[in-house]
Amino acid sequence: MSRRYDSRTTIFSPEGRLYQVEYAMEAISHAGTVIGIQSNEGIVLAAERKVTSKLLEQDSSTEKLYTIHNNMVAGVAGITSDANYLVEYARTQAQQYYFSYGEEIPAEPMVQRLCDLKQSYTQYGGLRPFGVSFLYAGYDEHHGFQLYHSDPSGNYAGWKANCIGANHSKAQSILKQEYKEEGLSLHEATALVVKIMTKLMDTATLTSDKLEFATLTRGGEGIVHHIYTPEEINQLLKEQGVLAETDPDQMED
Amino acid sequence: MLSDIVAQYTQDSTSYHGDLAFSSSNAWQGDVAKQFGQLSFDLPNTGNPAEFLHQYTDVKSDHDALIKLAHGTTTLAFKYADGVVIATDSRATQGSVIASQSVKKIIEINPYLLGTMAGGAADCAFWERELGRRCRLYELRNKERISVAAASKLLGNMVYSYKGMGLSMGTMVSGWDKTGPNLYYVDNDGTRLKGNLFSVGSGSPFAYGVLDRGYDHELQKEDALELGKRSIYHATHRDAFSGGYVRLFHMNEDGWEFISLTDMDDLHWKYTGDAAVTAS
Amino acid sequence: MECLLGLVGKDFAITVTDTSVIRSITVLKHNENKSRELNPHTLLAFCGEPGDTINFAEFIQKNIKLYGIRNNVELSPHAAANFTRRELAQALRSRSSYQTNMLVAGYDAQKGPSLFWIDYLAALVEVPFAAHGYCAYYCLSIMDRYYRKDMDLEEAKDVIRKCIDELQHRFIINLPRFVIQVVDKDGIREIQL
Repeated sequence: MSRRYDSRTTIFSPEGRLYQVEYAMEAISHAGTVIGIQSNEGIVLAAERKVTSKLLEQDSSTEKLYTIHNNMVAGVAGITSDANYLVEYARTQAQQYYFSYGEEIPAEPMVQRLCDLKQSYTQYGGLRPFGVSFLYAGYDEHHGFQLYHSDPSGNYAGWKANCIGANHSKAQSILKQEYKEEGLSLHEATALVVKIMTKLMDTATLTSDKLEFATLTRGGEGIVHHIYTPEEINQLLKEQGVLAETDPDQMED
Repeated sequence: MLSDIVAQYTQDSTSYHGDLAFSSSNAWQGDVAKQFGQLSFDLPNTGNPAEFLHQYTDVKSDHDALIKLAHGTTTLAFKYADGVVIATDSRATQGSVIASQSVKKIIEINPYLLGTMAGGAADCAFWERELGRRCRLYELRNKERISVAAASKLLGNMVYSYKGMGLSMGTMVSGWDKTGPNLYYVDNDGTRLKGNLFSVGSGSPFAYGVLDRGYDHELQKEDALELGKRSIYHATHRDAFSGGYVRLFHMNEDGWEFISLTDMDDLHWKYTGDAAVTAS
Repeated sequence: MECLLGLVGKDFAITVTDTSVIRSITVLKHNENKSRELNPHTLLAFCGEPGDTINFAEFIQKNIKLYGIRNNVELSPHAAANFTRRELAQALRSRSSYQTNMLVAGYDAQKGPSLFWIDYLAALVEVPFAAHGYCAYYCLSIMDRYYRKDMDLEEAKDVIRKCIDELQHRFIINLPRFVIQVVDKDGIREIQL
C-alpha cells in the first residue's frame, strides 16, 4: 500500500507524510557523525570520516567540513555528492550577497537560502530531495556566533549544541548532560567534542584519518574560521590524550 | 539541467530588478486578468527605441520632425475648502495654425475623477482613458473606489515606462476620495506631484499670475469658480496658443460637476470694464 | 538646480534638501520632500532627472523594506548604500538608466553615523560631508572651511546655516525652503535650524 506513496517525493501518503523525505533523513542517520558546540569564545565543529584507507591522500581535501564564506563553516552528513552541490550553491549565494550589499551575508539568511533550495526539491515534480543535513557554524554582527542545523526537508533551527549523522541521539543525550547553562569555554567545548567522538566511534584513540575539526572564533581582525590540517588534528588529539600511537591496522577497509 | 528545472520554480532572492519579487512573472500565468493587466506597444526595432523616437518626435514644436504634436494650452486646477476647481481653454494649434477651437481638455476619467489635457492631445486622451479602464478594474477587484493618489500613481507609472519615447503629456488628476478632495500633477517624464494649485501649458505663467494673486483656501465656491474662469481668460488673452472657450468643472464630494462652457469673446466683453484688460 | 547636502557629526548624520520642484521657468511646487526613509536608521536623499529620482528611490526603499521583513534584521547603512549603488550600476548598463544623484545617511548601532555619496554614474564614496548639484560649488568650500570631526548638533546646524545663507545670497535660483533631517540612534527626524 505505502509503495504507492514512496516513489514520488511530491505526493503525501494518506497519513500525511512525504516518505522520500523521511527516507533521506534516515539515510543521514547512518552517515558519519558531525558535532557542533557553541562556546563562549566561538564554535567548535567536529566530524567523523567514514572513508578511511591507507591509500587515501589525506592532505588534499576535507570530506565533511567546508568553508561557506569568511564567517561560516559547515559540516555535512549524508550523500557527499549532494553536499558538494549544495556547498557550491551556498558559496555562490554568499558571494552574490556580497556582490549586492558589500557585506558578508548574515548567518540565518545564508541558512535560509540553502533551505529554500532544499525545500523546493520536496515539492516540485520528478526530483529527489538532497540527502544531506548540515551543521552551520556562523557569525554575524546582529546575533554573534550561531549554530544552525538543517535537514533534507528544508527545516532549520538554531542550537547551542547539536549532532547529526550516526548515533546522533546518543551524542545529543551526552550533550544535554554536559552542556552547562552558563556556556563552555572553547577549551571545554573542544574536549567535550573529542570525548563524544571517541564514545560514538567506540574507541579509546583517534587519528586525523578518522576525524575532521574546525573552529570559528574571534581573531585580531574580525572572525577567523579554521579547518584543521591533519597535523593540527593529531596535535589536538595528543593534547586531549586520545591520539593513537601508530596507524592501527583496522584502518584498511 | 536540474538547476534549470528548479530555477523555474524558485525566485532569485538577490535581484529584484524591474519588478519587485512579489510580482513574479510566473505568478499569474493562468489568470485571465493578466491579459488586462499590462498594455504594451510595439517599439521601433532598433537598438535604442527611445532615442529613435525622440529623434523623430516634435515634443516641444521647436523643430520640423516627422511626428508633430498638437500643442498650446492653458489648463489649471486648484484645491480649496469646498473641493477642486478645474478650468481649461479649448484651442489646439499645430505650428501657427489653429487646428481647433472646440477641444475638450477636461477628460472625464469616471464620475469622480477628472484629468486635464496639455501637450499631445492624443497621448492625454489615450492614457487617461486607459487610466479609466484600470480604475474600473480596481473597483471590480477591490469593491471600492480607487484613491486619487493611487489613480495618479497608475498614470505616472504608465507614462514613466515610455519615458523618452516621445510621449507628451502634462496633466492634472483631480478627484474626491475617502481623504477628501485631491489634486495631482502628472507629466510625461514621470513626475507626479501632490499639490493645492497647478497650471500647465504655454499659457500657464499668465494663469499662475492671476490665480496666485486671487487664491485663498477659504474661497466661496462661486468666487473660486470665477477665479478659475478669469485665470484662463487672462491667459488666453496673452498667450496666442490658447483661446476658444473656458471649460469649467467643479469636484464635489459626490463626484465632478460640469459648470460652464463660456465663449472667450463673451468673456472679453464682460471683463472689458477692467482697466487692466482694456489698457493693453 | 536642486540642492542636496549632507554631513556627519559626532553621533548623527544630517541631510539637507531643497523643497522646490522647478519645470522650465516655473516653480511647480514649494514643499516637496526629496528623500525617502529606507529603514528606521537609513535615509536616502536624492536629486536629478524628474521621474527617475522618485522611481528609483522608491524602488530602493521598497526592496530594503522587503529585506527587513524577510530577514528580521535591517540592512546596515553601508549595505543599503552598496545595494543602491549596485542597482544603479546595473541599470546604467541597460537600456533604461536612472539619472539620479543620491546621499545615503545612516546610523549604525555599532559603527556609528555614516554618509555615502552616490552619483548617477553609480560612483559610491563614504564621506564626512557631501553635496550634489550646483550648490556643491558654494557649499563644499564652506564645509571644507568650517567642518570639523565630532561636531555636535548645534555646531553642525551652524555649518548648514552658513551653506544655506550663501546659497540664498549668491545662487541664481531662489531656494526659500529646505528640509533638514537628522539620523541618529533614535532614528530619523526632521529638525528646524
